[in-house]
Amino acid sequence: MRRLYLQVYLTIVASLILVVLTAGLLWHFGTAFPPFGQQFEVAGEIIAELVPPVEASPQAQQEAIDRLAQRVGADLALFSRTNEPLASAGRPLPPPGRSGRTGGWLRTAGGPAIAIPLPDGRRLVVRIPARQRPSALMLAAFLGAIALVVALGARPVVRRLTGRLERLQRGVESLGAGDLRARVKVEGRDEVARLAQSFNQAAARIEGLVDAHKMLLANASHELRTPLTRIRLGLELADTPSERKAELERDIAELDQLVDEILLVSRLDATEQLDVREDIDLTALAAEECARYDDCWVQGRPVTVRGDPTLLRRMIRNLVDNAHLHGQPPIEVTVDRQNDQAILRVSDHGPVIPEGARDRLFSMFYRIPGRSGPKGSGLGLALVKQITRRHGGDVAYDSERGSCFAVTLPAV
Amino acid sequence: MGERVLLIEDDSRLADMVGEYLGKAGFHVVHAENGTRGLALHGREPADAIILDLMLPDADGLDICRQIRARSDSPILMLTARGDPMDRVVGLEMGADDYLPKPFEPRELLARLRAILRRRHAGPKPDVLRYGRIEIDRGSREVRLDGAPQPLTGYQFALLLALAEHAGRVMSRDALMDLIKGEQMEAFDRSIDVHVSRIRAAIEDDPKKPRRVITVRGMGYVFAKAQD
Repeated sequence: MRRLYLQVYLTIVASLILVVLTAGLLWHFGTAFPPFGQQFEVAGEIIAELVPPVEASPQAQQEAIDRLAQRVGADLALFSRTNEPLASAGRPLPPPGRSGRTGGWLRTAGGPAIAIPLPDGRRLVVRIPARQRPSALMLAAFLGAIALVVALGARPVVRRLTGRLERLQRGVESLGAGDLRARVKVEGRDEVARLAQSFNQAAARIEGLVDAHKMLLANASHELRTPLTRIRLGLELADTPSERKAELERDIAELDQLVDEILLVSRLDATEQLDVREDIDLTALAAEECARYDDCWVQGRPVTVRGDPTLLRRMIRNLVDNAHLHGQPPIEVTVDRQNDQAILRVSDHGPVIPEGARDRLFSMFYRIPGRSGPKGSGLGLALVKQITRRHGGDVAYDSERGSCFAVTLPAV
Repeated sequence: MGERVLLIEDDSRLADMVGEYLGKAGFHVVHAENGTRGLALHGREPADAIILDLMLPDADGLDICRQIRARSDSPILMLTARGDPMDRVVGLEMGADDYLPKPFEPRELLARLRAILRRRHAGPKPDVLRYGRIEIDRGSREVRLDGAPQPLTGYQFALLLALAEHAGRVMSRDALMDLIKGEQMEAFDRSIDVHVSRIRAAIEDDPKKPRRVITVRGMGYVFAKAQD
């Protein structure tokens, strides 16, 4: 990618080169344009006063030309209306051609010369001596110096303009990376400044929305659980038959679990970083979660990972719950280490999930088509995916080992 | 008259139910619907125990907890919501004696309330490891489940303590043997596994389905960090 400041700068430099070239060409063909032609006419009127009239003797004309040549220190030649040489001084000069009354530049062997038309039709050709002529090199150096000064002066201006754009870009990038407090300094009053201002307004709005979202999450957890607690207490205080009571308790637990998972999904969406990071023995954590079921076994060796113990516990619990709910016992959990990766596998003895369904296993509320049986919250595996990703790992369905989910996490 | 419990909770319907439930268990519950009123009531007549909701309309429950702790040593049970960003550590650092996430089992509330009251009566015991309903008292070398002492030999206590001090970590049999090698071992019973089953018989609700001391096949044992 060509950087913007370079593009703008190169445009300016290219324009300068164009100006130099145009100036050179104009200089070259300049005689074709007034007022160049006019100045020759004026010069002709003045010279006509200094040389004898056209009727004077050739000798008188020659004397006048000699005098003039001596005074201006140039080669001179006087030609008649029909290009006949009338008088000359210094080195020979070619006739001016048949261009009528207009004057102009001539190329001669000894250097550029000018033809000046006199009012009576005669023409005087003057070759300016080498030391007085402006050399092409001098002209180029002169224009080059101007170009250099402009080029040097333009650089900081262009740099300043694009520097602001680069600062704005850094601001957008850090906002995108999750720093919601990222703002840029508003400099100047042009479009770039307005863009910076709009960015700041947008960032403030996003920050406000995310804050409100977090606030809602923090309160929702409590607000939803208070009525659940009331129901639970009411059940205890009412004279409910024990079988019905156990069923209602399970319903409450299920609802509580659903609230928990929905809030956790939202919280993981809203925050970029882990709140807690500590060293955790993944095998021990798996053993604790397996102990919740009779037909669940853990084996492997101790592997330590860094992360949030509550989230990792939830990850293992969801995988074990999923195997218990949709698979066949016994459930086997193995924890192993391969290079710098911890690998946790949860497998059961149920049928392997069909290939077509595997891609969507980790989507929210996905249910394998045609499968009946108990229904979970629909968030369990989606949460597993979110939690593993948040810990720099991943989860996949590993059909080579039967019905098996494999989690990889960076090991300590 | 029973022990006086101050309940600081903004949901008055829940407060009424808690009052009724704890009343049946012999407690006298006084309700305050916000933090300010709770502090005032406690100032006027200190309660034997305080149940404090984390979310209050006028103040942060943690803040109220700190203020109560500054002027009184009544035990405090905090009510939180599961998954609250505030985890138990913060609450306990603020001086709460225990915490209970909503929605709680009413019996659990009663058990926790009794536990904090009992601990307060027994005086401070800094040398006690507490995991849910289990207390491992390093001073008196005693294990209690729901406050009731459980029969364990000295060797078994040392084994349980070694496991509990490394809760949440898989401990191999060799590592456990190393940790308790100074202990007097019963001559006829050299296997750790046998002692573990005795410990389970003492502290597990169902020793056949252990939830506290868990086996990791081919590796060793884990003392569960999260219990109950």
